[in-house]
Amino acid sequence: MAIPVEEAIAALSTFSLEDEQPDVQGLAVLLSSERYATNSPIEYSDVAAYRLSLGEDTKAINQLNTLIQEGKEMASLLYTYRSCVKALPQLPDSMKHSQADLYLETYQVLDLEMSRLREIQRWQASAASKLAADMQRFSRPERLVNGPTITHFWSMLKLLDVLLQLDHLKNAKASIPNDFSWYKRTFTQVSTQWQDTDTMREELDDLQIFLSTRWAILLNLHAEMFRTNTVEDILQVLIVFCVESLELDFALLFPERHTLLRVLPVLVVLATSSEKESESLYKRVKINRLLNIFKNDPVIPAFPDLHLSPAAILKELSSYFQNFSSQTRLLTLAAPHEIPPRELQDYQRHYLILNHMGTIRAEHDDFSIRFASAMNQMIILKSSDGADNDWSRDIKGNMYDTVVEGFQLLSRWTGRIWEQCAWKFSRPCKEPPISDSQQDSTTFFDYEKVVRWNYTAEERRALLELIGYIKSIGLMMQHCDTLVSEALWETIHMEVQDFVQDKLDKMLRTTFRKKKDLSRILSDMRTLSADWMANTSKADPEQHSLHQETEETRQNTFYPRPVAPTAAQIHCLQFLICELVSGGNLRKPGGLFGNNGSGIPVEDIKQLETFFYKLSFFLHILDYTATIGTLTDLGFLWFREFYLESSRVIQFPIECSLPWMLVDHVIESQDAGLLESILIPLDLYNDSAQHALTCLKQRFLYDEIEAEVDLSFDLLVQKLNEIIFTYYKSCAASTLLDSSFTYACDDGEKYFVKPLRFDAIFKLRRVMILGRTVDLRSLITQRMNKLFRENIDFLLERFENGDLCAVVELQQLLDILELTHQLISRFLELDSYSLMLSEMQENLSLVSYSSRISSQMWNEMQSDFLPNFILCNTTQRFVRSLKGAHHNSQRSSVSAGKPYFYCGSHDLTMAYQGLAGLYRDFFGIPHMFAIVKLLGSRSLPGIIRALLDHISSKITAMVPKITALQEALPKSIGLLSFDGGIAGCQKIIHEILTWEAKSEVKIEVLHDLKEIGSALYWMSLLDIVLVSIFP
Amino acid sequence: MARAGGGMGSAVNVGIAVQADWENREFISNISLNVRRLFDFLLRFEATTKSKLASLNEKLDSLERKLEVLEVQVSSATTNPSVFN
Repeated sequence: MAIPVEEAIAALSTFSLEDEQPDVQGLAVLLSSERYATNSPIEYSDVAAYRLSLGEDTKAINQLNTLIQEGKEMASLLYTYRSCVKALPQLPDSMKHSQADLYLETYQVLDLEMSRLREIQRWQASAASKLAADMQRFSRPERLVNGPTITHFWSMLKLLDVLLQLDHLKNAKASIPNDFSWYKRTFTQVSTQWQDTDTMREELDDLQIFLSTRWAILLNLHAEMFRTNTVEDILQVLIVFCVESLELDFALLFPERHTLLRVLPVLVVLATSSEKESESLYKRVKINRLLNIFKNDPVIPAFPDLHLSPAAILKELSSYFQNFSSQTRLLTLAAPHEIPPRELQDYQRHYLILNHMGTIRAEHDDFSIRFASAMNQMIILKSSDGADNDWSRDIKGNMYDTVVEGFQLLSRWTGRIWEQCAWKFSRPCKEPPISDSQQDSTTFFDYEKVVRWNYTAEERRALLELIGYIKSIGLMMQHCDTLVSEALWETIHMEVQDFVQDKLDKMLRTTFRKKKDLSRILSDMRTLSADWMANTSKADPEQHSLHQETEETRQNTFYPRPVAPTAAQIHCLQFLICELVSGGNLRKPGGLFGNNGSGIPVEDIKQLETFFYKLSFFLHILDYTATIGTLTDLGFLWFREFYLESSRVIQFPIECSLPWMLVDHVIESQDAGLLESILIPLDLYNDSAQHALTCLKQRFLYDEIEAEVDLSFDLLVQKLNEIIFTYYKSCAASTLLDSSFTYACDDGEKYFVKPLRFDAIFKLRRVMILGRTVDLRSLITQRMNKLFRENIDFLLERFENGDLCAVVELQQLLDILELTHQLISRFLELDSYSLMLSEMQENLSLVSYSSRISSQMWNEMQSDFLPNFILCNTTQRFVRSLKGAHHNSQRSSVSAGKPYFYCGSHDLTMAYQGLAGLYRDFFGIPHMFAIVKLLGSRSLPGIIRALLDHISSKITAMVPKITALQEALPKSIGLLSFDGGIAGCQKIIHEILTWEAKSEVKIEVLHDLKEIGSALYWMSLLDIVLVSIFP
Repeated sequence: MARAGGGMGSAVNVGIAVQADWENREFISNISLNVRRLFDFLLRFEATTKSKLASLNEKLDSLERKLEVLEVQVSSATTNPSVFN
């Protein structure tokens, strides 16, 4: 090898990979999601190498694990089962003769589905018998085989959990018996032609009993277990194990905690189903401990939209298990719907995330700071080679502790979300608010009652915030995966070596000196996991007895080796520790570490216990990425298979979908603190799509999710654009508003805009959605360009439907739009404003000087302004003449545009409308300023040219009229005689002027003169304005 | 009582094997970690490249639109050559 691998990889980091995109999305790509520690990839075949006679146990574990895997697949099959019967066609009367064909077809379709159910029935029978056999083999008091190990315990519990879940699902899904009865009916129709249907019929009856009996699987399991009456031992051990793990709650991540909580009530029922053993159970586990656990968690999530309640299970099962029905204390536990109101409030306080937000926020802030600083130290450590040992060990140890804490935080938070969901599902809202929906209340789905109306605005906010925390912490931890893994391995290696080499050494020399059997276990532990070569101070295990006096100096001199123990090593270590403390006797009263029957000193027991639980957490740490993946997976928030079935619809509308509700909440509330989490709900879709494909393995679910994502992403982008546009428009409007006005105004604050930040959103060039990369920024830019054009078009259209006086308002609104454009252009590459304006004005062409505004203006002048307005000389204003014909009647009213086409916020729009109202009834200098500004030097000459043409045409048109009037004049008018006085003169003049006949013409001429005058005055106004603008 | 580790008579052999195993696994985990680093790098590289390409694309887009406008303007001029004479 020419270049060492490390150097080559390290050289990669010299590439600059700066990326402007902020992390506002959760994990989208997992580098690897393989579990090589929590699930042994080689099925513990290496356990045999340690020669602990665990062969039987290993075989049993692998068998159970295969069953668990199969069972999970069955469960997802049942969970995603949708009724086929609903889709079956009805035959019209005209085709009754082919009824038999239809039956046959239907039978064939249903037969496929029913064969799957039959498979489940067969599987559960074999699984139950295998589990029972397994338990029997390992619970014999005389112990012919080694085991069961802790891993074995877990496999048993998990298989039991799978069986319980299957049973629960089978009870809950109504469509299955429904489909089955249809199937049976078609079978009786079809089978009339067949021979030898007895076996089939028998099988059918069997399946029917299985499907229609509640808790058939558990009953069967019970029967299998107690065929020979020897499993109570192991049941009790399992119960003790569950209770202790739950009470300690250290090494449990939420999926395991939920598993234990689900299994415990079933275990209790099974263990107390024979009289003599129920007493011995309560001797080992006080009933109050059980009651406490059941009371603390009255609802436990089982499936995304299906929960379990221990109290309800206990009650229901008591009618099947006669012996259990005497356990009155367990049976008086209140099921979720019977909880008394006072306790209900306590639970409410416990379950609703809203009430824990303060702590969670503090935890999040604190943790993210500490994690970042631990990371920084790691980077410093990496860059400084030859660092001294202690320092580097401290930093790595610190990193390890932080990671452990991070996992626990994530697990607690995600667990909280699961539990809140379960709680909400168990307590549907009573009265959906009818006020804001037009539909009548009968169309409410149950799902709406538990989800849509069941989360208040604050609860949605809290949920969104928490999801954001989970996703961001997960992302942060995932990003440094390759950086920290060495440190984690090293720390774990050190912990293990420290324990087996030092602590065990000490124990061997003190406590276990005289106990041959036990000391052999200890030395086995050392043999199977000690890494002597890594301990530089002693190369040979035989020498260690000589070095007793140098113990203190030796303690910290391990050569760090970044290698983690294998799953098998941890498995064996845990087994040996159990052997040690129990003395090989599972029936030992008391808990695993609780009782001091074996004569081991308390501090040694304590050390063993700590190490034991640490070992089980090592597994999660070693599966770093997979653990993060599990802990941040919130896809369950989307799934609603159970409610879909009970509501008899194909799919719920998007408003009922929790992820969309969260997006919608951000949009509606326009909370500055939430805006950056607007993409977080899309992560939920990512998670649920992943879940649908990899766990449930159902293509149709993925398709449904994809359809919803398409819709919601479109809506999201559209609404996001509107928010951004409105915000910047309001900013622009508020900037342009006269500041002296806002100062003088009593409630001027309403014209200020609450600041929002979109920087993060503008930088999103790659948003990961369902495995696709979407350039959100370019989408926003595209739509923004369109929005600006629409807005200009809207304003022009509005102007085209009003009179000339509206030009001031048009100019104001266009000014605001221009400023908006400036503000947004700081972040986005928009088309230039002048370009968009000229595009919408239709004067892009180099040779045309007219535009939409100028032609509209000229139209207005010609048809409305010049004929109908008269000049008021003192005010230098034109006002609409009272007599003039009004054209307003023909104007089509413009549809009121969306608020963001005006000034953004309502208050600002009102203010600007008030302002524009002042200019609406006259035409004067301000209007002229507006016109000059709007038309500019390009189109003004056109207007002037048109005006001059207009004047000259008016003059030409006037000439014949004036001649006609002249004709009415007398040929000559001499000096009037003054005999009649003034009145007489007037009378004579009236007699001479015979204009009455031509009064029409006179008015027309006067009118034309007025128009010409107006035009001239208009031009003089223009002159004034032009001079003041371009002096 | 079935004693745990009944077969550990050859404890020394197991010990030696375990020791060798640690060393082998050090090599393996070193390689696998570096492979993961390589892939991590590739992922990051892809991400940044995508961003950079996107920003380039954005600039090209806006240039393209400007060019389009210019083309329209030029064509409006060339179809009416009389104006310029």
